[in-house]
Amino acid sequence: MIRFNNVSKTYPGGFLALRQVNFELAAGEMAFLTGHSGAGKSTLLKLISVMEKASTGNIFINDTDLSQIKYKQIPYVRRGIGMIFQNHNLLLDRTIYDNVALPLIIEGFSHKEIANRVEAALEKVHLANKLRCYPKMLSGGEQQRVGIARAIVNKPAIILADEPTGNLDPKLSLDIIRLFEELNTLGTTILIATHDLGLIARMRYRTLTLKQGCMITDGLLQNTRGDEQSE
Amino acid sequence: MSKVILLQRLSTLPMRHLQQAIGSLGDLWRTPLASMMTILVLGISLTLPTTLHLFVKNAEKITQQWHSASEITLFLKLSTSAKSAKNLLQKLQLYPEISKVSYISAEQALTEFKLLSGFGQALDYLENNPLPATILVTPTKRSSQADVVKNLLSKLEKHREVEQGKLDLDWLTRLEAMAKLLQDIVISLAFLLCLSVVLIIGNTIRLAILDQKDAIAVMKLVGATDAFIQRPFLYAGVWYGICGGIFAIIAETILAQYLTASLNKLTYLYHSDFVLQGLGFVESLWLLAFSIILGLIGSYISVRQHIRGIEPTTD
Repeated sequence: MIRFNNVSKTYPGGFLALRQVNFELAAGEMAFLTGHSGAGKSTLLKLISVMEKASTGNIFINDTDLSQIKYKQIPYVRRGIGMIFQNHNLLLDRTIYDNVALPLIIEGFSHKEIANRVEAALEKVHLANKLRCYPKMLSGGEQQRVGIARAIVNKPAIILADEPTGNLDPKLSLDIIRLFEELNTLGTTILIATHDLGLIARMRYRTLTLKQGCMITDGLLQNTRGDEQSE
Repeated sequence: MSKVILLQRLSTLPMRHLQQAIGSLGDLWRTPLASMMTILVLGISLTLPTTLHLFVKNAEKITQQWHSASEITLFLKLSTSAKSAKNLLQKLQLYPEISKVSYISAEQALTEFKLLSGFGQALDYLENNPLPATILVTPTKRSSQADVVKNLLSKLEKHREVEQGKLDLDWLTRLEAMAKLLQDIVISLAFLLCLSVVLIIGNTIRLAILDQKDAIAVMKLVGATDAFIQRPFLYAGVWYGICGGIFAIIAETILAQYLTASLNKLTYLYHSDFVLQGLGFVESLWLLAFSIILGLIGSYISVRQHIRGIEPTTD
């Protein structure tokens, strides 16, 4: 589903964010991506969502080589990816309903289908009663959940989440992870970037660890506390 | 994607266009002062070349009334008999450049001269009529330009019955030169003002795009194509074009009404039946269509230039 072949990313100015990264995430797999700030987690997610282009190497989504696609194809790649970011990326002048409906409007769904899907998505993140609210009327955690609802509303094949539980309390964090698990059982490929090693340890999923742009481990995280101390 | 789903999605396309068109009108409505200012500037910019167009149109109408300025007078030789003159008249009627010929015999000329000159009785003492017979030649509309008339005159002067041909060419040449200059001025000004309309709309749309930069980035993040994002801005350009065009038509109608009153007084003094021609229905439609096209061009240039540069960020 997602394959990185010797991918490096150097930003203008010479900062090397990723070095020779190799990994493969199979369709329907769920994994965590961890590492300290500046390790390259966000860059890796940006490369998958075509917000950045790899300096060297190849990234494949299914059989599509992202380094070869044309500008006009980028939106269609993004439609297959649900993205959840720390800054929520919500449209502040539109209601929660309109925010969540956006990917469906773009894809040309009918009004009826949009209404059904938006309500279902908001139900899943426990915000069904906030349909007519505006983002500024919600807390940071609620805004985060609106972002999650928007990411899952068009049932994408891949979900990329950058610190999705960062603004949530432990119970809600667990609810969101359970939601990801539920989506994963339906066949959605999920990659979650997080600092929360406790969460990673509890969930026991495959974990990719980045350090200064290099992938240092790939597998189940054995000793969370030990790793933390060794950093 | 199955064919059924694809067809369902396509069937919603006109509705989405309508929604985006109405939505962009709503955006203009939400910023009434800024929108009104832009529309006024556009309307005035369109009114100026339209006024000049009407000026040229009415000037052409006036010069058509002065068409006789290119009339050729052929003075026949004194020895020319009435029969030869009639023959010449028939020959001249066959010229494709000539629309009308009229013959004034020497006797008619003398009678007219007596009446107009005030020398009536004095002229009775003359032994012979000193005036020649004349033929008045009116060229066709197509052949009334100075150079064509000049050629025609030289052709007509070659007839052996003709003593001399006369045409006030200088005056006609000057009139034509002035008309040409006026036309060129109108075209240049119209071009510049249309360019300014495109630039004004382009700049207004650019500001709207920058104002919605974050929203555009989010839309791109969730898979919106540039076509989807730019559509409301293109519709905004069309709305500006429609409103600016309507303003120009109304302004032009009021202006024509206002000038008609003053012009009527002037034409009465000159005993003229000239009536100022305003903007006709078809011309109004053309102005509106032209204004919409300018709006679309301005907004298209702007969206092409700016939307592609906006990319989503995670910061």
